[in-house]
Amino acid sequence: MFVVELLEKLSILSAAAKYDVSCSSSGSTRKNIRGGLGNAAQSGICHSWSDDGRCISLLKILLTNYCVYDCAYCVNRVSNDIPRASFTPEEVVDLTINFYRRNYIEGLFLSSAIWKNPNHTMELLVRAVRKLRVEYRFNGYIHLKAIPGADWKLIAEAGTLVDRMSVNIELPSSEGLKLLAPQKRKENILKPMSLLGSQILENREERKRFRKAPSFVPAGQSTQLIVGATSDSDLRIIKLSENLYRSFNMKRVYYSAYVPVSSNPKLPSISTPPLDREHRLYQADWLLRFYGFEAQELLSDSHPNFQLELDPKSDWALRHLNLFPVEVNKADYHLLLRVPGIGVKSAQKIVAARRFHSLDYEDLHKIGVVLRRARYFITCRGKYYGEVPFREDVIKQRLVPKQKQEPSWTQLSLFSEQSIPVEDRQTTITGEL
Amino acid sequence: MIYYLYDGTFEGLLTAIYEAYYRREKPAFIMRAEEYEANLFSRPVIIITDSEKSDKVYRSIEDKISRQALRHVYYAYLSDIKGVATLIYRYLQLGWQVGAELDSQLFREPVREMLAIYQRVSKERHRMLGLLRFCKLTGEIYFATCEPDHNIVGLVAPHFARRLADQNWVIYDQKRGLAAVYNQREWFITNLNLSGQLLYEENEKIYQQLWKQYFAGTAIQDRLNPKLQRQFMPVRYWQHLDEKN
Repeated sequence: MFVVELLEKLSILSAAAKYDVSCSSSGSTRKNIRGGLGNAAQSGICHSWSDDGRCISLLKILLTNYCVYDCAYCVNRVSNDIPRASFTPEEVVDLTINFYRRNYIEGLFLSSAIWKNPNHTMELLVRAVRKLRVEYRFNGYIHLKAIPGADWKLIAEAGTLVDRMSVNIELPSSEGLKLLAPQKRKENILKPMSLLGSQILENREERKRFRKAPSFVPAGQSTQLIVGATSDSDLRIIKLSENLYRSFNMKRVYYSAYVPVSSNPKLPSISTPPLDREHRLYQADWLLRFYGFEAQELLSDSHPNFQLELDPKSDWALRHLNLFPVEVNKADYHLLLRVPGIGVKSAQKIVAARRFHSLDYEDLHKIGVVLRRARYFITCRGKYYGEVPFREDVIKQRLVPKQKQEPSWTQLSLFSEQSIPVEDRQTTITGEL
Repeated sequence: MIYYLYDGTFEGLLTAIYEAYYRREKPAFIMRAEEYEANLFSRPVIIITDSEKSDKVYRSIEDKISRQALRHVYYAYLSDIKGVATLIYRYLQLGWQVGAELDSQLFREPVREMLAIYQRVSKERHRMLGLLRFCKLTGEIYFATCEPDHNIVGLVAPHFARRLADQNWVIYDQKRGLAAVYNQREWFITNLNLSGQLLYEENEKIYQQLWKQYFAGTAIQDRLNPKLQRQFMPVRYWQHLDEKN
């Protein structure tokens, strides 16, 4: 009986949690303690990959999916008729520890729907996490959701126990929020985010001075927003991300393509999630964080959305052809990073290798730089290897992946019913054309 | 052509490199004695492992080239890739010429090949940190079976000794008949050839079932992408993954 019940709960509460896309288990260096279980790995470790190709690193579950809110885009909304369940803290602890000991997971990602009110929910979350850390001496990775509108004291206490916290911003604009999640307010979401951000920064400084100072959310905070449930443009979304990175000291912003979970008339009617758009946003996000790009360089009011057939960097480069081609032996690191197809690793390799001798096209190939896109934007020892005229339209044509065409011919078979024209029939027999 | 044959240990390999440096007759190939097949043009030289000589080479790599190079050599040795010993020899020859800068000279073939092999081994090591699955046996032992491409059991053991410090565990490499064994204090590597069934502890099946269900339920049906899944988690690892059986 116990097992059946637990299986059912797990199936309900993990199904409800799977739309939280954060899977990361990186950024924390928490050590094991004497007689304790687990530690965190700085790089993060993926333990499995589910059938949708997303990694499974943490046991991602909700404490409960009983919710008082009615957000149109969410499966757990109160008006949705689905089976409901909730875990006790003991069950959460038991699952986490036993999964962890078998190396199924890297830790726990605990979230919850809003049960009764934000404070009550947050208290339950903290209780479960405290049990794991203090009573069971568990030092694996824990990612906890901060519930918007909960008391700061509760959130701050959670921060001392966990590795990462997140508050989901959900929708990129307050109009969207008003339309689809009328009970949520932008201020309630931003306030804990900004408090977390400043507390994390403060703690980091403190730990530089006192090595033993207790940690506070050592792996930083993240957030998530849904793409394609409202009419917000890509420009608006990446500007928002840029602000979050800058002012709230955010570690990651996750984008989740809206999966149609409801037929609410306020929501767009789509049959498949906008995965290509999500992909382009992630690429742009990387450009913001690791490549020194700014949001307004990538998009503008006259060009507010990414092209689906071209990645954001190529798109940007084609609009700034005057900066190219760059000479790989001379261009500085930051300029190399702006060449389509050259990433952080390739740029580092180029800079390291050219200290010894000047690189030609073959050398680039040898050291492992992928040249499929880069070749149109660089010169090696002054020579251009693009093999097409250096013009925007021509290069673009080369960069856009070719659509797979249905073959215009068909394989004939003995029994195919297609008739062959009379003349052809004659020439096949006589061989005369 | 001269073939240096060593006994398959890391010390043996380093001794062979020592001899290659000091003896007059330079080898064209270095390989494990068991890999050697006689042919018309080959002249085998058996290298006898000498820990004094291998220590010298070990320290010389560390001091005259870099710690990183030593790491690359060790990982390459563990790769079990055919012909890797000769590659290590060529890599080190170059290393003693150019010193600490060795690993940034990517345009040199031995360096490039060594780094590629190092990456393959360390990638599999990292993958295995996630993909090992322990099952609890009677007698409070957690047991994991794997069949890695490279000989990485010794590379993953320290990670689990830190992480699962309060449980007894065994990581068993079925392909090589090796196992890392940990007894809550220290770990060591031993030969192990297992035949027969493992005896599960009574709750083991329940947690496997819970895990399988979690695994199946966490996939979003609107975005199924088996190709991506296989890219991250190659099919050859599946037979030891509970969730894929």
